[in-house]
Amino acid sequence: MSWARTFGLALRTLRRNPLRSLFMLLGVAVGIASLVAMASVGEATRQETLRQFKRMVGTFDRVSVQPGSARSRGMPSLTSVEPTLTFADADAIEAEIPNVRRVAREQSAFDIDVQARDRTATTSIWGVSAEWMEIRGDDVTVGRGISEEDIETLARVTVIGEDLQRDLFAGENPVGQLIRIAEVPFTVVGVLVPRGAGPGGASLDNLLLLPVSTASKRLFNRDYLTTITVQLEDPEQYEAAVAAITGLLRERHGIVPPVEDNFRVSNPRAAMEQVQEVDSTLSSVLVGIAVIATLIGGVVIMSLMLIAVSERRREIGVRRAVGATRGDVLRQFLVEAALISALGGVVGVVLGVAGAAVAAFQQQLPPVFLWGAMAGAVLLAAAVGLVFGLQPAWRAANVDPIQALRS
Amino acid sequence: MIELEHVVKTYQRDDGTPVPALRDITCRIGAGEFVTIRGSSGSGKSSLLNILGCLDTPTSGVYRLGGEDVSRYTDQERSAVRAKRIGFVFQAFNLLPRTTAVENVEVPALYSGGDVDRGRALALLERVGLAARSGHFVTEMSGGEQQRVAIARALMNSPPLLLADEPTGNLDSAVGDSIMELLTDLNREGLTIVLVTHDERVASYAARELLIRDGVLASDRLQAARPAAATEVHRVLG
Repeated sequence: MSWARTFGLALRTLRRNPLRSLFMLLGVAVGIASLVAMASVGEATRQETLRQFKRMVGTFDRVSVQPGSARSRGMPSLTSVEPTLTFADADAIEAEIPNVRRVAREQSAFDIDVQARDRTATTSIWGVSAEWMEIRGDDVTVGRGISEEDIETLARVTVIGEDLQRDLFAGENPVGQLIRIAEVPFTVVGVLVPRGAGPGGASLDNLLLLPVSTASKRLFNRDYLTTITVQLEDPEQYEAAVAAITGLLRERHGIVPPVEDNFRVSNPRAAMEQVQEVDSTLSSVLVGIAVIATLIGGVVIMSLMLIAVSERRREIGVRRAVGATRGDVLRQFLVEAALISALGGVVGVVLGVAGAAVAAFQQQLPPVFLWGAMAGAVLLAAAVGLVFGLQPAWRAANVDPIQALRS
Repeated sequence: MIELEHVVKTYQRDDGTPVPALRDITCRIGAGEFVTIRGSSGSGKSSLLNILGCLDTPTSGVYRLGGEDVSRYTDQERSAVRAKRIGFVFQAFNLLPRTTAVENVEVPALYSGGDVDRGRALALLERVGLAARSGHFVTEMSGGEQQRVAIARALMNSPPLLLADEPTGNLDSAVGDSIMELLTDLNREGLTIVLVTHDERVASYAARELLIRDGVLASDRLQAARPAAATEVHRVLG
C-alpha cells in the first residue's frame, strides 16, 4: 500500500474514532505544551537575567579589583573592607599594566542617612572618579556627571539616583538643590538614568555619587578604596589583564603565594558565565521535566493503541485476508500513531505558546517564541508516536488472521 | 484451478501432542466449478478452507492454485496471492465498522498494488443490488445487505476464485436463499466458487459436493445439473 494511501487511511480511521483520537492527541499535547512553555519561559528568564546583568555591570570590557580575599562576599563597603587597596594601587595599574584604557576609583558605603530640607532617605554613597560613570555606561537624565574638575577641587557636588530624586525631591528637578550628608552640604548637579531592578529584585537607583577625592578627604576620611574598575583596550585579552593586575598587586602588597591575596580581581564576563550556567541548569531541569511529560504522553499513545489493536483484531484479520501483508498492517498502525502524535504536537505547541505568553505577561517579561524549538517539538511528538506506536503496531502486524476471523 | 495432493494438516497442542485436522486430501477443482465442502464441526473443513485461502500452509502435501505450487509460500507471498486471486466471504460478514459500503468494497484494492477504482466499487455494489446504499455505513445495514457488500468486496480485485465460509449461517433462510442465488449467478458468469457449509440445503445449490469427515474426503459427488460449462476465461462483470 502506498504511503499516501496509508496516510489517507490513517486520517480516516482517526477521524472516525474521535474519542480515542482526542485522548491520544491530548496525551501528547500536554507534554509538548509543557515542553514549549518551559523552553520559552527558560529562554525568557535567561535573556532577562542577561539584560539585568548588563544593566548592573554595564559593559563587559572591565576588570574589577576589590579588597579582601577571594572568599569575601557581597558589595565591598568602607565599613567592612580591609584597607588594603589604595589610590596608589590604582595609579600603578593605570601606569604599568598594558591593555588598560582607563581606571576608575571607587569608595562606597551603604545605609547612610542623607537629608534634603525636611526629608531623610537611607542610601548608598559612592565616591567615584570622573571615569566611573562612563566606564559603567551610566548617563544622566538632567544636569551633568562627576567631572575631573570636581575631583581636583574636592567639589561638594553630587549626582543622585532616581530613587533619591523621588524620595527627597518628590520627583522634581533637583539640580542646584542641597543634600546634607553628615551635616555636610552637597549641591546636586545631575540625576542618573535609572537602571531598574537588579537580579535580586532590589532597586539599582538608590544611590548618590560624589567625587572620590571629596568623599575620601572631606566626608569619610579614609584613604583606601572599595573598588578599582579597570577598563581594557581589548576585552578579549581579559585573562592576561587579570593575571598582570594580580601580579602587580601581589608585588606592591608584598604577597608571595601560598600566602593568600588580600584583594580579588574579577571580570564580569566570568561572573556572567556563572550566572548563565546556573540559569541553563534551571532551564535543563524544566525541559527535562517536560520531556518526561512528553514520554508519559507516549505511554498514553501506547496503551490506547494496544487497546485499539485488540478491539480491531477483526479488522486486521479482514485486511490480512484480502491481501494486506504484515508490513502493511505495521505501517498502518505506525502512521496512525505518528500522525495523531504530530497533531498532538501541533496542538501542544499552540497551548505551549499560549502558556508562555501568559507566563511572560505575569512576570512582566517580553515573551520569547522559539520557532526552532516549536518545529522540533512537533517532530519530537511524531517521533514519540513512532517509538511508542512500534510495539502496538508490531502486535497488530502479528495478529493471526485465522484466529481473528473466527466468529 | 485447484489441485490438492496428499495434503495433511496437523496442529500441535500446547503440551506438544499432535492433533490431525486433515489426514490426506487429494482432489482437483476446475475453473468455473461451484463446489461445496460439507462437514460437521470438527471435521476439518475450516482447516481445508484456510489452506485453500492461503491463510495457512499444509504440514505436508502440495497445493497448486492455477498450476502454481503455493504450499511453501512465505507469509508475504501468500498475502499477494490472497490480494489478487482469492475473494473471501465470511459467515460473520466481517465488514469494517465506521466505514461506508463503498469504502468496504474498496479495501482489497488498497493491497493489490493498483489504483483504487471507485467506479468499479460502485459498479460492484450495483451488481449485488445495493447501488442506492453505497454511501451508508455498514452498521446501518441489514444482515443480507452486509453480506452483499461483503460479496462485492470479495470481487473487487477480480479474483478467479471465491471462497465462502458459511455465507448464509447468520441469515434467515429467505435472505440466505437470495445470497445463494447471487452466488449461483456469479458462478454462471465464470467465477469459481468453493463454499464451506454444514447445511445440506445450502450445499444443494452447487453442482458438486465434497463431504469431509475426520480429516479425509468421505465422498465427492456431482448432483443435479452442473452450472454452465467451466470456462478458462474469467470475466466477472465484464
